[in-house]
Amino acid sequence: MNAKTSAKSVGTNSKTTMGNPYHNKTAQWIAYTLFFLALAAIPFNVDDDFLLNQLATYGVYGMLALSISLCWGFGGILNLGQGIAFGLGAYGMAMTMQMQTQTAENPVPPIMLNNGLDYLPFLWWPFQNTVSGLIFAVGIPTLFCAVFGRIMFKARVSGAFFAIMTLAMLSAFYTIILDQQAYTGGVNGITPPSPLQLGSFQIDPYSPAAYWTVFFALLIATVIAKLITQSSFGLVTQAIRDDAERVRFLGYSVSSYETTIYTISGLIAAVAGCLWVMVVQYVSPAQLDVGLSISMVIWAAIGGRMSLLWAIIGAFLIQGGQSYLGDAFLSTWLLILGGFFIIVVRFLPNGLASLVEAGLGMLARKPKETSFREPSGVKPVPSE
Amino acid sequence: MAGLLEISHLCKSFDTIKVIDDFSLEVTEGTLCCLVGPNGAGKTTTMDLITGRIKPTSGKITFAGEDITGADEHAIARAGIGRKFQVPAVLRDLTVRENLSVAYSRQTNPFWNLCRFKVPGLEQKIDEISTLADLTHRLGEKAGILSHGETQWLEISMVLMQEPRLMLMDEPIAGMTEGEIEKTARIFKDLRKSTTLIVVEHDMGFVREIADVVTVMHMGTLLAQGSLQEIEADPRVRSVYLGEQEAA
Amino acid sequence: MDFGSVLNALILGVSIASIWLIAALGLTIIYGAAGVINMAHGALIMLGAYSSYMLQHYIGVPYLLCIPASFVIVAIIGLVLERGLIQYLYDRPLDTLLATYGVSLVLVQGVRLIFGSDPKYLAVPEIFSSNISLGFANISTFRVVVIAVTALLVLALWILFYKTRFGIQVRAVMQNKEMAASFGINSSRIYMMTFALGAGLAGVAGSLFGVLNIVLPTMGDSYVVQAFLMVVAGGGTLAGTVIASGFTGELQSVFAFITNDTFARFVIFLLIVVFLRFRPQGLFAKGGVRR
Ligand SMILES: Nc1ncnc2c1ncn2[C@@H]1O[C@H](COP(=O)(O)OP(=O)(O)OP(=O)(O)O)[C@@H](O)[C@H]1O
Ligand SMILES: [Mg+2]
Repeated sequence: MNAKTSAKSVGTNSKTTMGNPYHNKTAQWIAYTLFFLALAAIPFNVDDDFLLNQLATYGVYGMLALSISLCWGFGGILNLGQGIAFGLGAYGMAMTMQMQTQTAENPVPPIMLNNGLDYLPFLWWPFQNTVSGLIFAVGIPTLFCAVFGRIMFKARVSGAFFAIMTLAMLSAFYTIILDQQAYTGGVNGITPPSPLQLGSFQIDPYSPAAYWTVFFALLIATVIAKLITQSSFGLVTQAIRDDAERVRFLGYSVSSYETTIYTISGLIAAVAGCLWVMVVQYVSPAQLDVGLSISMVIWAAIGGRMSLLWAIIGAFLIQGGQSYLGDAFLSTWLLILGGFFIIVVRFLPNGLASLVEAGLGMLARKPKETSFREPSGVKPVPSE
Repeated sequence: MAGLLEISHLCKSFDTIKVIDDFSLEVTEGTLCCLVGPNGAGKTTTMDLITGRIKPTSGKITFAGEDITGADEHAIARAGIGRKFQVPAVLRDLTVRENLSVAYSRQTNPFWNLCRFKVPGLEQKIDEISTLADLTHRLGEKAGILSHGETQWLEISMVLMQEPRLMLMDEPIAGMTEGEIEKTARIFKDLRKSTTLIVVEHDMGFVREIADVVTVMHMGTLLAQGSLQEIEADPRVRSVYLGEQEAA
Repeated sequence: MDFGSVLNALILGVSIASIWLIAALGLTIIYGAAGVINMAHGALIMLGAYSSYMLQHYIGVPYLLCIPASFVIVAIIGLVLERGLIQYLYDRPLDTLLATYGVSLVLVQGVRLIFGSDPKYLAVPEIFSSNISLGFANISTFRVVVIAVTALLVLALWILFYKTRFGIQVRAVMQNKEMAASFGINSSRIYMMTFALGAGLAGVAGSLFGVLNIVLPTMGDSYVVQAFLMVVAGGGTLAGTVIASGFTGELQSVFAFITNDTFARFVIFLLIVVFLRFRPQGLFAKGGVRR
């Protein structure tokens, strides 16, 4: 697929050099291809297992930023509760991995035994089998998004109201998971003792296999998301972002579109949650913390919420910077991040991507200085 | 012959104020009905009620034999009613071409649209409509930068892209030049051959030009209905509406 | 489940309600008047607590004087914040939400850099640290102080908004900015004042919460979401917030009595979501936007 896109683009691109390449669909696909080629080159150049593992977690953050960009950047739905889908996905995966290590003689995980529960609760049943566990891990959060989204959007809850509702819902999940120690491990969460086992294959978090799994998930999610934005659905979604009220009178059921984009975004986040546990072998209520969910929005905002690729890059840059500086400088880093975030919101609504857009625009204009004054093609005819 | 749109005994109150009061109207297929009346008569509110933007307090609206009273906006639009708003409402962040594409809403199912990248017949339709509306050279521009007149045209074009059976046009020529008004009149008369229109307009010259039937509203009620000559001869209309206009 | 402990739960409910209410008061003013969703509110509460701590620790100001002093200090911070940032974002509600979250990050981390992450404590006069016994119920004196301060503030705000010229101007701006402007009301000034007032109220809440809990840079975080839900459920009006806080305080206390505190909070969150689903405009607000 890569070869095909780039080959095609060489032909079309040379013919249509006018205009900003940032807005050229072919150029966009090339940029995406290059980005993923760069990511694919990493395992061949990194032999530090720990670093590779860390890079895999960035991939997960990238997926989360992607999901936010899709929902907020393209759909205009600010979701401050993406941690719900992420967290539920993560818990589902942790439960599946935990159950993989339980045996017939020892069917009940220690978190239950430690909390005075000597049988496997109903909630855990689907996760006894790996396949059904994975299906439930992704399916439950997705279903939640579909139902919650449907209820909210049908009632025309939108904008800041929806953001607040997602926050409330997130807080609700956070507290219930914290509260139900015997089922969820409470504040300590779940730490599956061994890596994810798929058939006879074990995905060691510190192996390239884990990195590649995340890589392909991110690749597939990005391609699907990009295709969505270029489909008729994507256009209608952007129209809704612009003026939902008007779009209704064109015959589109706005709530269905909003629910769909919100659910797809939740699905991506749920998969990210599963991958996260695969990579770190751990889950706790911190994954449903309000701060994390807002961080996802910050990644997308700083990178550029309107651009899927830049949202991902935003996550890489911010999380990368944070772990590069380490815990000693965490406060300083967050302080700078907060300040930068304010600047982005105030002056750069499209984040770093808008700087790139402006830069490319200038580059594209320069060589065309003469023809710029007289736009090629159709000459505008005065209507009077 | 039954009307395409039948409104019977429609009432709408906001808080305690009756804005539409026992209003009935029948619009025959293939006619152009002009809805006139002084400011605040309830014309826009009537359109809101027809298109489902607000729900009536009581009364019934049927369209093509189907009861659409209180239905959702999108369902009514799909049934075949297109609307241009009084305050031009276009998608300002989208280009003119994208505005028209969105308005070409034959397929409204989100799941179908997820898998559609090329819409058959769309390009041709955009060509046709944008030529008619003189917007071809603006197709690539953001709708937000259009002039007021162009915005009006874009919204009319969006209604045309919808290919509705009934078009509601709320003050379509506000802000247009003489030449543009003439052109609009021509196009509307042309449209009448294939669709049905309800046009709200204050400009009596324009009404005279296009109307088959004129309906006069006053304080939320139907004051008079008939051809323009009949309306102009009606003493009640003269007192509440035409008189007011002459005085102004 | 005897009568006495139920009564005790109800009285505790009043106390919880007063905490939620005082946390939400500043937000209500800001949201109600300007439609701003101020995510920095928790940080402002925290600043109130730290202001009191500094005044008490370095200058030796008595606690009761720290409360109004915190009001003034945080109000000034709010004023700067409004002039420097918020005033440019009034027509972009989602962006205000995000920008104020950025502000909260900056404030919290700034305080952490200056004061460190170890807890600070506010000392209160001896009489406040005792318990009041009402025969059937027991409540700490300081919680009574919180209830009293809250009640006083609500009364003062009510007078301010419904009995003074300033209040009339605020309500005029709330209803229609353009119309108010044509009557010579400077809406930008009104927004600035209400923001400062709201921030000052957060400062008062902070100086009280600093006694109820320990003083930490992150102490305000847990209040924001809950306080917001009070405001939204109350429709952005003072009376609405009072009622919403009263209800949820009592409900939480009763649920906590039946189950436990965490589960009670879960139920409250769910109930608020359900409530807002059916009344997205809250308790008292009217719907309907003209086009
Ligand atoms: N949401 C509402 N709440 C209260 N009153 C309303 C509402 N919408 C409309 N009205 C009132 O209903 C009456 C009719 O308004 P409408 O906009 O339908 O008049 P109109 O005939 O379209 O006038 P114009 O020619 O000025 O457009 C007006 O008095 C208006 O104030
Ligand atoms: Mg009108």
